Amino acid sequence: MRTIWVIAEPNGDGSLARISAEAATMARSLAESAGGEAAGIAVASDPSGIANELAAYVARVVAITDANADGKAWAAVAAERAATVISDDPEAVVVVGAGPDGRDVAGALSALTGLGVLVNATAVTWADDGPSVEMSAFGGKLLTTSTFVSGAGIVTVRPNVVEAQAADSAGKVEQLAAEKDALLPRVDVVEQVVEAGAAAPIEEAKVIVSGGRGVGGAEGFGLVGEIATALGGAVGATRAAVDSGWIPYAQQIGQTGKIVKPDLYLALGISGAIQHKVGMQTAHTIVAVNRDPDAPISEFADLLVVGDLFEVGAALLAALKTRAG
Amino acid sequence: MHIVVLTKPVPDPAAAAERLGPDHRLDRAASPSVVNGNDEYALEAALKLADSLGGEVSLLTMSPANGADTMRKALAMGAARGTLVTDPALAGSDAWSTTQVLAAALRGMTFDLVLAGVDTSDGVGGVVASGIAALLRLPYLGNAARIEPDVAASTVRVRRITPSGYDVLEAPMPALVVCTQALGEPRYPSLKGIMGARTKEITTQSLADLGLDAGTLGGANALTAVQATKRPPARDATKVVRGSAEEGAAAIVELLTTRRII
Amino acid sequence: MATVSTLNPGNRLTDEQVLLRDTLHDLADARIAPRAAEIDRTSEFPEDIRQLLAQQDVLGLPFPVEHGGVGGDLLTVCLAIEQIARACATSSLILIVQELGALPLLIAGSPEQQARWFPDLASGRTLAAFGLTEPEAGSDAASIRTRAVRDGDEYRISGTKRFITNGSVAGLITVFAVTDPDAPRHKRLSCFGVEVPADGFRVERLEHKLGIRGSPTAELSFAEVRVPVANRIGEEGEGFRIAMATLDRSRPGVAAQAVGIAQGALEVATAYARERKQFGQRIGDFQMIQAMLADMDAQVESARQLLYTACVEIEAGGPDVARWSALCKLVAGDAAMRVTTDAVQVLGGYGYIDEFPVERMMRDAKITQIYEGTQQVQRLVIARALLGRPDA
Repeated sequence: MRTIWVIAEPNGDGSLARISAEAATMARSLAESAGGEAAGIAVASDPSGIANELAAYVARVVAITDANADGKAWAAVAAERAATVISDDPEAVVVVGAGPDGRDVAGALSALTGLGVLVNATAVTWADDGPSVEMSAFGGKLLTTSTFVSGAGIVTVRPNVVEAQAADSAGKVEQLAAEKDALLPRVDVVEQVVEAGAAAPIEEAKVIVSGGRGVGGAEGFGLVGEIATALGGAVGATRAAVDSGWIPYAQQIGQTGKIVKPDLYLALGISGAIQHKVGMQTAHTIVAVNRDPDAPISEFADLLVVGDLFEVGAALLAALKTRAG
Repeated sequence: MHIVVLTKPVPDPAAAAERLGPDHRLDRAASPSVVNGNDEYALEAALKLADSLGGEVSLLTMSPANGADTMRKALAMGAARGTLVTDPALAGSDAWSTTQVLAAALRGMTFDLVLAGVDTSDGVGGVVASGIAALLRLPYLGNAARIEPDVAASTVRVRRITPSGYDVLEAPMPALVVCTQALGEPRYPSLKGIMGARTKEITTQSLADLGLDAGTLGGANALTAVQATKRPPARDATKVVRGSAEEGAAAIVELLTTRRII
Repeated sequence: MATVSTLNPGNRLTDEQVLLRDTLHDLADARIAPRAAEIDRTSEFPEDIRQLLAQQDVLGLPFPVEHGGVGGDLLTVCLAIEQIARACATSSLILIVQELGALPLLIAGSPEQQARWFPDLASGRTLAAFGLTEPEAGSDAASIRTRAVRDGDEYRISGTKRFITNGSVAGLITVFAVTDPDAPRHKRLSCFGVEVPADGFRVERLEHKLGIRGSPTAELSFAEVRVPVANRIGEEGEGFRIAMATLDRSRPGVAAQAVGIAQGALEVATAYARERKQFGQRIGDFQMIQAMLADMDAQVESARQLLYTACVEIEAGGPDVARWSALCKLVAGDAAMRVTTDAVQVLGGYGYIDEFPVERMMRDAKITQIYEGTQQVQRLVIARALLGRPDA
């Protein structure tokens, strides 16, 4: 019987990251197609909380207690402990997030187990003896479908590809104590700093309202934020806005920033040059507001409103308020 | 200090000229290459550290033989020398092979830090660096916005970007650090650097030189296989709305309603 | 448009030259182009661009490595000028004149003089200028009247120079003056390295010009300016020969500037033709526009290829140097004027206003038909080379 594994990625406060709930949902649906089961792995000095959260999505969770995990960078610890379980399963399929934590785990796990990796899955189905993974390549110009030669391997999946959905009944949690000495060097986390205004990972947002050079300054991002709030979304930015210091790098979307796939990408004062385009062009709906009707974004947006982004933005806020109230 | 920077030649994203081979994999020899953008941030970070703390920066690349041309630009930025691992068997390598090969090459080197970019613009995987660290049992410090080595104590402190802000990590050197854009803009190669790049040494290594078995690596032994490729579905033509701000706003609301976003 | 890095037609450029060209292409786009309109509008010398070029070793290109330069050959220097001129003609002039002013030293300077002056020139700490032209002596360079009188182990220089680029910002001016008024015409002159500021040296005024407005074009007066004998470049009477040899080598720089200006204008006109719509379609779909753009491209490319060939021939030396030098400058200067004029035409009304850069490029292009030998002088040089041949 095939096991589709998912590794619980923690938020800063130790709770289950949303991407893991999504990955677990995907693992469960793959397991159904494969006639197998989805199983989770949680690694921490006290994994019970995060293991119980993950158990809502899968048939069982192996909760590995590693007393020396506290105050250490998570990915290497999780990868080596998960490897001890996964190495016993020669047909293992593992699903993790494609964000920084997920990638770090995937890389180390691949090295420790010899499993291959398929990255940034936008759709995963079960085919014959393993997953069939669809990914977009070359900045979105091409869609590729790939498989693991042996049918076993690690898949990294982006946010919003799957909607997290709990199983009908929660799975059981099995305790396991990490016995062996640590294989990989552990890196001390000396300090954790929370920065004011830090938002939830923008890759998870279903709606992103983004500002570019046209916003003109940090004050202009106030309007961008208001529209984002009105639409229940997050604020994004282009490289130009970040370089000008108007908004933190964490909100940057594009080739050297984040790749996102929201339901709605609302681009305000953004020209749509290639470096930015590769970060957002797979969004389901793209709306642009720009003074220039010939900006590159006009070639791939669903709707382009030609006008001043502040005027149109204010009108949009008013229209949304009227609609709501 | 000796810092090794992992660099990869990739198809120029601005040129949009990628070509596929018959196995659906990128035909690297056919597409014009540039240094991977994210690797330039790692290289710039390394050069700044070498400038301020004293030391040298070396480059390490796995690529087709013409990767030496792309390496020249990175040498022109100020790296002292480069190592190019190239072997016909490596064509079509997946992340697993790349990890094995680069780790093997690093085993033959002495260094304080290995710096790598977050991911490549062609593969966008971001899994090779953590794989290399695991194989070599190096401390792994990812997503760095700041790197502060303490040469006397042989430790390094790194600010790792997190969703809520940043963590400060500390580890002994040698260590592997993944570098983000937040570390600073890469310098233009100076003209002296460009003219002098030709005199800098690029050492070429094959799989045999690294003591690796071609029978377990490269395209022929990839753990993954591309089954099919297709173009993404084209969007409908863009609807352009001109007129008053209110008309524009109304068009947006209508679209979002139709698509059930609001 | 394909990225520049793939363009090496005929494989005539070395890897270093391709990398240099591409690096300066990006640098010009990112750091120089955004300043071009402001430099033109304020007519202020762009000290920030001078610092940038110095920092990137661009001003070191013409100078030998042993004195802190980059040791670039003529083609390499022209590649750099072309890329900078594409973004801003005034900025490219900083490099052009750094070379022009130093060429007398490169050609005829003693090892001691080179060791004394090159390090500061190569690093860009000191700017050079070329002091030949006078109010009454433009094309007729041999008729200059500035006088250098020997007095013990010094010369005293008196006279007026006009249209001296960088005259007000240079620290070293290579000045041509009459040392022997009774000698035959082409033996009257000598060349001197004059460090300024100096007693008796004055910048009288700066010109207000049609184009290259950020470049300071100065009238300089010399009133018994004292210059040690050790500053004389070459022997007495060699001045005219040095001046002509200088211009043979510096003219390709002007040609490169012209090619760069024309290329910049072509790019603006092409982008405009792609985007501007009239009568329901892009104006680039109209044959008259297509014909203009095609002719512009043909002119730019042929000027460029001739320039590159000329650089190689001049670097190699030989009897045809003057002809190659004149040919490339003649063709490129005329091409730049035609291409920029047509670029304004393609943009129509928008080409005439400063919202787009082509009107500035057209004004900038004109000087390439005038300085370092007018187009008319170039034709004389070429004709002389043709007719002077035994089989002609």
